[in-house]
Amino acid sequence: ADKILLKTPIAFGSHLPALGTPIVWVSEQLNLVSDGKIKMKIYEPGKLVSPPEILDAVSSGKVNSGYATAGYWQGKMPAAALFSAVPFGPEAGEYMAWMYYGNGLKLYQEMYDNGGYNVKVIPCAIISPETSGWFKKPIEKPEDLQGLNMRFFGLGASVMEKLGVSTSQLPGGEIFGALEKGAIDASEFSQPAIDQRLGFHKIVKYNYFPGWHQQATIFELLVNKDAWGKMSKGQQATVENTCKASMTNAIAEGEAMQFPVMAKAKEQGVEIRYWNETMLKTFEQKWDEVASEKSAADPFFKKVWDDLSTFREGYDLWESNAFLPRSR
Amino acid sequence: MDANEIMVIAMFLSFIALLFTGIPVAWVLGGIGIIFAFIGQFSDTYFDTITGLDYTTLGLVVNRLWKIMDNWILVALPMFIFMGIMLDKSGVAEKLMHSMQELFGRVRGGLAVTVTAIGIILAASTGIIGASVVLLAVMSLPSMTKQGYAMPLALGTIASAGTLGILIPPSIMLVIMADQLGLSVGDLFMGAVFPGLMLGAMYIVYILIYGLVKPEAAPVPVDAKPVDLTIVLNVLKAVLPTVLLIFVVLGSIFGGFATPTEASGVGALGATLLAIYNRKFNFTVLKEVMGGTLNTTAYIFAIFIGATCFALVLRELGGDELIESFLTGLPFGPYGIIFFILGVIFLLGFFLDWIEITLIILPLLAPVISALGLEINGYGVVDNPQLVWFVMLVAMTLQTSFLTPPVGFALFYLKGVCPPNVKLTDIYKGVIPFIALQLVALLILVFWPQLVLWLPANAYG
Amino acid sequence: MTENDTLPSVPLADKIDRFIQRIGMSVAWCYVLLVLVIILQVVLRKGFSSGLIIFEELQWHLYAVGVMFGLSYAQTTNSHIRVDLFYTHFRARTKHIIEIIGILTLVLPFIAIVFMHSIDFFVDSYRINESSDSPSGLPFRWIIKGVIPVSFALLGLAVLSRLYRDTVLLLRGE
Ligand code: NA
Ligand code: NA
Repeated sequence: ADKILLKTPIAFGSHLPALGTPIVWVSEQLNLVSDGKIKMKIYEPGKLVSPPEILDAVSSGKVNSGYATAGYWQGKMPAAALFSAVPFGPEAGEYMAWMYYGNGLKLYQEMYDNGGYNVKVIPCAIISPETSGWFKKPIEKPEDLQGLNMRFFGLGASVMEKLGVSTSQLPGGEIFGALEKGAIDASEFSQPAIDQRLGFHKIVKYNYFPGWHQQATIFELLVNKDAWGKMSKGQQATVENTCKASMTNAIAEGEAMQFPVMAKAKEQGVEIRYWNETMLKTFEQKWDEVASEKSAADPFFKKVWDDLSTFREGYDLWESNAFLPRSR
Repeated sequence: MDANEIMVIAMFLSFIALLFTGIPVAWVLGGIGIIFAFIGQFSDTYFDTITGLDYTTLGLVVNRLWKIMDNWILVALPMFIFMGIMLDKSGVAEKLMHSMQELFGRVRGGLAVTVTAIGIILAASTGIIGASVVLLAVMSLPSMTKQGYAMPLALGTIASAGTLGILIPPSIMLVIMADQLGLSVGDLFMGAVFPGLMLGAMYIVYILIYGLVKPEAAPVPVDAKPVDLTIVLNVLKAVLPTVLLIFVVLGSIFGGFATPTEASGVGALGATLLAIYNRKFNFTVLKEVMGGTLNTTAYIFAIFIGATCFALVLRELGGDELIESFLTGLPFGPYGIIFFILGVIFLLGFFLDWIEITLIILPLLAPVISALGLEINGYGVVDNPQLVWFVMLVAMTLQTSFLTPPVGFALFYLKGVCPPNVKLTDIYKGVIPFIALQLVALLILVFWPQLVLWLPANAYG
Repeated sequence: MTENDTLPSVPLADKIDRFIQRIGMSVAWCYVLLVLVIILQVVLRKGFSSGLIIFEELQWHLYAVGVMFGLSYAQTTNSHIRVDLFYTHFRARTKHIIEIIGILTLVLPFIAIVFMHSIDFFVDSYRINESSDSPSGLPFRWIIKGVIPVSFALLGLAVLSRLYRDTVLLLRGE
């Protein structure tokens, strides 16, 4: 096609830093880079279609593209969460290494193809670690989690369930109200700069780190395959490379804006805590259980998990030698 | 003007026009959405427009419909309806009427005050307008007629008191508004407490003054007994169970013990227990309540479903941006724009009811209000304070839509149960002063946002 | 208005309406069930805090079933809100004509579009055996998604019954 308009419903409000801002950047850049030949019109969450419906809408061609994160589809395809964020998984550098130079991207597309979804997937943003969550009381030992109601996203939710937490995956806009009314006792959502926008610090004071469940999170641009097929090679490359540039842009933006917000949160009386050894060990041990259970239940999950694990075992030799230890 | 804008305007115009044919509102909305989607497709094919509408795109209606089903906030709605219909059958209101009438027996206009007071209590326990108006009319109109009340005063009192429930929490309208705008139901419920009570108080003051100025319009019954301890005790006994129910439902929401949905379920159970306690409960009653809940919930949600189709096509055509840029471009300044919007809603309220206005118009207005940049004090606690305040202004305005002819639900319900000698014009005449009072209340809210925001801010402290 | 201006009897239409109302009244029990589930959840949350996600999801499942099957029920009781400012003053004949035209041009196209798309929506969900996106949520999400085509088919039936009734009455001259 000569010109193309990508109608793009998004899963996160475009005002949310690092969650929503990257796709706005992509739409501006696409227009510039293509000299106006590719336009992207963004629809805020729920305007045309609500976030959990984006995959269905793109696949059936009701819209020609959409911006979300694969973790939303884990009710449809259990492996999807692995392409979104992996508990105790790779940081951004390693994740991208697997995605672009390992089998990641190939498997990612394969998952949608196997699921019968008529979409082309393009990783289009990545962000650094999230916080591990906001709690009303300090959590010193695994038993402290018992009986909590918590908003939790992706694979980490299954880990929390094993520790006696009931989890639900409320959309961002509903968390504050649920927390305020006591429908949930705790919540994780995203990075400090984003959580601050949602105002959690007004109600709950204990903000835990590190986000073992999401050391890096990938966001995806889904394009309907028929629409993709109608684009020229040049247009396809433009979209793919703009998304790749967006990965750089998103992580840089995310890395730059967390510390001022955390400093301010501290002033407002937020307790910034780091999980103790016991807690981190427990989370990791439960995650290993979850991973093997999910692998046993779903062959494709196993395929992806094994591939990622093999990649990471190899990477370990490099990682353990290449980086300086982090100071705490 | 480009093709999309013409289509947006044509959509609204055909909506208004078809409305008056009497075809159900829900199907007018849905049907117009479908027709304009195909007009858009046709125009894209032959006239080089870019609406992007076609049969495939329309499939989004199903995804949107699914999000209405998969919605934990709206679960409260049928429960509050259940509670309302059950209370209606529970005999609680009759007891209240009987005992309170004696309490206010010797006050000029006492019976009308009683009606308003019971209206407030009914409003705070559930607020199904139809049920409240009918109930109040059936219980009080015969005795008001017998005591020689002026017909307009009697009718206006009943209609206005019965309508309080849409504002005073729990309110299904506020639940829907919270859902549409992503606000906290609890914030809206709390925000509505003072405005609602203020309005009720204004009604009572008006009735008392009216009684003083025109004694013959609000006479004292000849056989009025002096108030003694037994009467007071009787009132307390009659009021207690209902107040308890109100306390449990609203108290648990405000106190943060329960979500509105949980409270609505508890309220439904509570109303059932009250009916059992009053020996009004049996299988037939339960079936009536179930059927009534099914029916009422369905006709409200039918409009939801039709409106979601209408709104989808409107958005695809860029109708949102059009209205937004029109409103923000008005040369009136922030308060001028607010008055303009409220004025339009007031006028729309003559023809549309709150459901359509809440579902179609309100979401279009939210970004406009946010863009006005008004400094409304949320005390650092209330999320999005200017929107909460604005919603309350809209809610107060919509309150009048029940009373404004030609399409005023409260008027219809009232007419339905009035004796045939009562003319519709009597009802119209009766509600005018109450509409005026609502507009005064609205003005107070505009200039005194603390009335709305103080409670939600301080309840969480 | 919600007033039920009962139309004259037309045997076949009456039969269909009664059938739909019977279904509706059976479905209406889901609201009683909903009260019980909410109460159960409140008790569990305050007392034991376990199994909450299932109950939370069960709540909106029940609510959704009530809402969707209520549509056809409310159609047979003629409860869908109309602006009856002029409508009440129309002659019976005019009303029948309006109803017939409205059903053919507005109502049936709307129902048909939703019905056809909802079948794909349901089939997609069934194909991948979709479950809740919460790990401890309810499985078989396609069942509740299947409520859309079924309830809209029923709504379509109720509307066709109304169409038939109005046509017969128009021809009869009532
Ligand atoms: Na109310
Ligand atoms: Na009106």
